[in-house]
Amino acid sequence: MRCAECRESLSALIDGELDPSAAADVRAHFADCADCRREHDVLVDTSRLLKEGLVRHTAPDVLKARLRSSLAQSRPFVEPLERRTRSWITLAAAGVAIAIFSSGITLGVARQAARPSAGDEVLSSHLRSLMPGHLTDVASTNQHNVKPWFNGRVDFSPSVPNLDSLGFPLLGGRLDYVNNRPVAVVVYGRREHKISVYSWPSAGGIGTPVSPASSDVRGYHMLTWTADGLTYWAVSDLNRDELRDFVREFTATH
Amino acid sequence: MGQRDVERFERVVLPHLDDAYTLARYLLRDEHDAQDAVHDAVLRALRHFEGYREGDARAWLLAIVRNCCLTWLKRDRARRSVIPFLDVASAEPVEPRATDALAIERSDRAALERVVAALPPEFREVIVLREIEELSYKEISDVVGAPIGTVMSRLARARKRLADALRIGAKEAG
Repeated sequence: MRCAECRESLSALIDGELDPSAAADVRAHFADCADCRREHDVLVDTSRLLKEGLVRHTAPDVLKARLRSSLAQSRPFVEPLERRTRSWITLAAAGVAIAIFSSGITLGVARQAARPSAGDEVLSSHLRSLMPGHLTDVASTNQHNVKPWFNGRVDFSPSVPNLDSLGFPLLGGRLDYVNNRPVAVVVYGRREHKISVYSWPSAGGIGTPVSPASSDVRGYHMLTWTADGLTYWAVSDLNRDELRDFVREFTATH
Repeated sequence: MGQRDVERFERVVLPHLDDAYTLARYLLRDEHDAQDAVHDAVLRALRHFEGYREGDARAWLLAIVRNCCLTWLKRDRARRSVIPFLDVASAEPVEPRATDALAIERSDRAALERVVAALPPEFREVIVLREIEELSYKEISDVVGAPIGTVMSRLARARKRLADALRIGAKEAG
């Protein structure tokens, strides 16, 4: 075997891709040729260095959240946005009416309800989170695990109050994608029900806090409010009164 | 596409998301571009999922990711008039190092990333597919759409360039 031929085969040899007889020829050549043997050793070292030293990246959570959101849109049970929006507006209007009559909350929330897209996206996001394995990215009953988990994943610090003693155990947090931006979701439980609390920075900055407005869509109850410059949405299939209790405690505690 | 198909897609394809992202990171050398490219690639994969038959889902996804990245690079190149690829020879010189790879320090890793980033994309991709993803030559050939002989020679040349840039074996050679 000539050196040129040997050199061509070296990479395949170290990758175990050379057939046995060719490999035997190359090794036989090493016995006669120190240069080729050294070249082989250099390639082995290089390959080992690369294997051990190169970073194997992990897909970021925000990418996973975006993909979840995009893949969910290709699911047939999530109706097309246009079709749902109209019914949402109707229901949101009904929800605002309920909010006004049932709890005497301020009227300032009508503006919130007139923006259906966020609520729409929040509801479909909550629905897909209920599919197996999608509920939380970080599963923890400890607020001191969940809150820091959002550091570096979103550019704000979401509220993660401890409501254990009130019967709303913390289940964890996840990153989701609503309104074309990553949002924080904190998940609580109530018996077998799940409550997702979404938050993201309000468009208008800090602004005046807005009291909760509620709406009901297909058996799900939603409440939205703003506080400390963040817009919050709570969504659950829990009954309306209990969800309202939950939000009262949530806003009182954080 | 039915809900079952989407669920099957998620089960078959999404476990390889880290591999897809790793390839995109090395090809595009930017985390945001890599996220966008992988996002596009996964949606493209979903659209073509019917064409996927049982087989190596990872290599199938990586091939799509690679194509998305190359499209991305072309678009990027058209946008900038100057092609920013450094030649390995012009990359920052690296101190001769011991070949004991067990103790790779941080600076060594940075140097390694730098010389790999400086490789032309057709060399960089075979290095990533072989050394990180540990694909066989046949699988690499499927992903990059080149004959096995071409894969072999690119890999050999890429390793040679890296060895020179990292001055591996330089001590012994004098």
